[in-house]
Amino acid sequence: MVVAVILARQEALPRLFLRRVPNRLVDKRRSGPPAESDPGVDETFYIHKLDNGLTLLAQRLEQFTSSAFTLLLPAGAAADPSQAAGASAVACDWLLRGAGQRTTRQLHDILDSLGCQHHEDSNSAHLSLSSAQLGLNLMPVLEVYADIVMQPHLGEDSFPACRNLVLQALEGVEDEPMRKCSFMIREQFYPWPLGRNPLGDRQSLEGMNAPDLRRHVQRCMTPRQSLLAVAGNFDWGTLVETVERLFSPWKGQEPPPVGLRPAEGGAKQISKQTAQAQITLAYSSVTLRQEQYYAARVAEMVLSGGMSARLFTEVREKRGLVYSVGARYHALKDYAGMFVYAGTGPERAQETLNVTVHELRRLGEDIEPGELVRAKTQLKAALVMQGESTAARADALAGDYYHLDRLRSLAEISAAVDGVTVEQVLEHVRSYPPRPLTVLTIGPQPLDLSICA
Amino acid sequence: MQFKQSQLDNGLQVIGEVNPAAASMAVGFFVRTGSRDETATISGVSHFLEHMMFKGTARRSPFDINREFDQMGAVYNAFTSEENTVYYAAVLPEFQPPLMDLLGDMLRPALRQEDFDTEKNVILEEIKLYEDRPQFRLYEQLMREHFLPHPLGQNVLGTPSSVTALKRQDMQDYFDRRYAPGNVALVAVGNFDWPALLEQVREACGHWVDYSVDRQRESWPGSRKTAHMQDAKLLRQHVGLMSSAPSAQSDQRYSAHLLAAILGDVTGSRLFYALVEPAIAEEASCSYDELDGAGAFLTFLSASPQRAGQALDIARGEYQKFLQAGPTESELVAAKNKIASSITLRGELPMGRLTAVGFDWVYRKTYGSLAQHVECILAVTARQVLEVARQHDLLAATTVTLGPRPAL
Repeated sequence: MVVAVILARQEALPRLFLRRVPNRLVDKRRSGPPAESDPGVDETFYIHKLDNGLTLLAQRLEQFTSSAFTLLLPAGAAADPSQAAGASAVACDWLLRGAGQRTTRQLHDILDSLGCQHHEDSNSAHLSLSSAQLGLNLMPVLEVYADIVMQPHLGEDSFPACRNLVLQALEGVEDEPMRKCSFMIREQFYPWPLGRNPLGDRQSLEGMNAPDLRRHVQRCMTPRQSLLAVAGNFDWGTLVETVERLFSPWKGQEPPPVGLRPAEGGAKQISKQTAQAQITLAYSSVTLRQEQYYAARVAEMVLSGGMSARLFTEVREKRGLVYSVGARYHALKDYAGMFVYAGTGPERAQETLNVTVHELRRLGEDIEPGELVRAKTQLKAALVMQGESTAARADALAGDYYHLDRLRSLAEISAAVDGVTVEQVLEHVRSYPPRPLTVLTIGPQPLDLSICA
Repeated sequence: MQFKQSQLDNGLQVIGEVNPAAASMAVGFFVRTGSRDETATISGVSHFLEHMMFKGTARRSPFDINREFDQMGAVYNAFTSEENTVYYAAVLPEFQPPLMDLLGDMLRPALRQEDFDTEKNVILEEIKLYEDRPQFRLYEQLMREHFLPHPLGQNVLGTPSSVTALKRQDMQDYFDRRYAPGNVALVAVGNFDWPALLEQVREACGHWVDYSVDRQRESWPGSRKTAHMQDAKLLRQHVGLMSSAPSAQSDQRYSAHLLAAILGDVTGSRLFYALVEPAIAEEASCSYDELDGAGAFLTFLSASPQRAGQALDIARGEYQKFLQAGPTESELVAAKNKIASSITLRGELPMGRLTAVGFDWVYRKTYGSLAQHVECILAVTARQVLEVARQHDLLAATTVTLGPRPAL
């Protein structure tokens, strides 16, 4: 949606390039009295498991008027039936088309009247329902979401419109090459179907029918492996009681396993008359569970943390080749990658590719102490500043628990970041080199990709 | 939460909202200048200059500037609109002194020829980047069609030819005309030390020499023209409507925000039920832009080429219906709660508060706490909303379409 034109000096990378796994400042706490807060930082965390498998995670932030929650359901795009790619995206819309005693309009009206800023999203592992609102409305909003999760109407009559909206969104992506790239590179990089475009494809969407999708949604919308993360100013006792009352009737089996095929990888060049050539590259990295995780994040910052980082300095500041260039770490549970993007005029695309790849390769040669210090400062400052939004905190709690089965404190993360040495970063970069590169380009002319081999 | 205000002898305004409970602070220089203050021969200079501010000063190279921000772990950037250019950063409170030194110094740039030449290529790339974004192209054209010959119709990016032709000296002249301290406000929010800030601003900016800066601010009803941009490469048809709205200085602006939310918020609005829920359009929204001495309602639709005409007719029909009866009580309550929630959520972040406090000052020379803004929203009546709709007819709009169809 266009709201106003604001042209920034540096644009954020397209949404899918952004970290889906935010930095987080969380600690492992069981249900019960909160732990002492660290001085100056509110780190009151709670975990409570319901008998049906749903895990409630929470952080109390007393200084906030708002509260936010994120509900991750194991019904993401990777779990879409093979003949029904896009099922999860259609379900995002369908779930809000009436639930419990409420019609579609009544459901939207109640959420609106509670001042909900709600968002439904489908990514690889999860169908995510999130909402931020004034803290005093948290419990009434949770009541509405209990209906959405346990008693969605999923009516035959509303299904065609939901499917149609996803088909239209898919067409919209075709008109925006930068967004198209960000979807396609994941599809190519991750083992199938983990990186599959959540919007699916035209053929699957057109072949989808309401009864099959309903069965699929009912099967995957299960409390087993679902996470409900809440951040804001709440009373923990009341929250547990409310969530127990609302969600304990929810029943379901373990979500079905996802069968994998090896990643396609390699290089693809799509010919299209665009103003800019789009260049996207990807290579393997470590997951959150692996030892080198913090070294990988420091490496990401050295490459692309701020405007003094290498890609921005070499590709844009020194050579003026692009407006937008950057690298972002992205992780699924068992796979992770560095995703690199550059967009430039077709006549300068080859040079941009060459300089970018050269910078990726040069990272393993040496890192200056000053670069290391800046990278660490950025990572730690981001942790604190992300802690200032209840919505970001709720996302972070859920992401942390999904990846690690536990929550980490700010102190733990800070210490881990501080402990990273130049040698560790270099060792990481050498054990996860940008080779082979998965490459995707969109533009009027194909590029010489020999440098990527 | 404490409001602070001061002014340097040279006219630079210093505004602060101190929140000791915040974990970070955000600071921005709000310069009252943008594409509306340009002439055709220097079209794009405001935005190009914004980029050049990061390219060094008498005592800093471009690389120094980037490195110093990153050493503080700052979240920093700048943006240019038709009427404002803002340079901002958020940092942890301990970095207040070096941040103020850096930002203050940056606002007196070296504008070196070599950097100018390199950065020009970046700007030309940025123009190309937006060519690949249909919604942006539509918005730009809509502003042009609606406002020209009023200066608000002048594009922020400029054109490839205007930017290519731009000389370093043109930029220097523009800077010397527009960046007077009296045309700039330094705004700080979050957890910071106000007395120290004043000292730091005096140190960094006290030597700036003042002069007077003008802006043409006459009102403009909009052209109400219709234009079609055909692009056979696109799959989607985009439609934009722009009509006049209360200005940023008007007391009716809260009512205008509510009107836009009732008509075209992304969920639960009239356009949502009429167009998105039945999937006639994938996107249908209405928003309100506050501008200096002017204002605009912007309606945006995205549909298949076959259904775009129908979507536009339905949207117009909804506006017509609204004009007759106004909002229902429950619609008004929902819109109020959504806006109150949204400004509260934004306001909890120093970065979110920065623009709210900054633009309050830039446009109205006032300060309103978050609670006061929420109160103003809650106080609006259904009659006031309807009054805005009747005074600013959304059907008397400039219309632009973009997509494979030659016309609708």
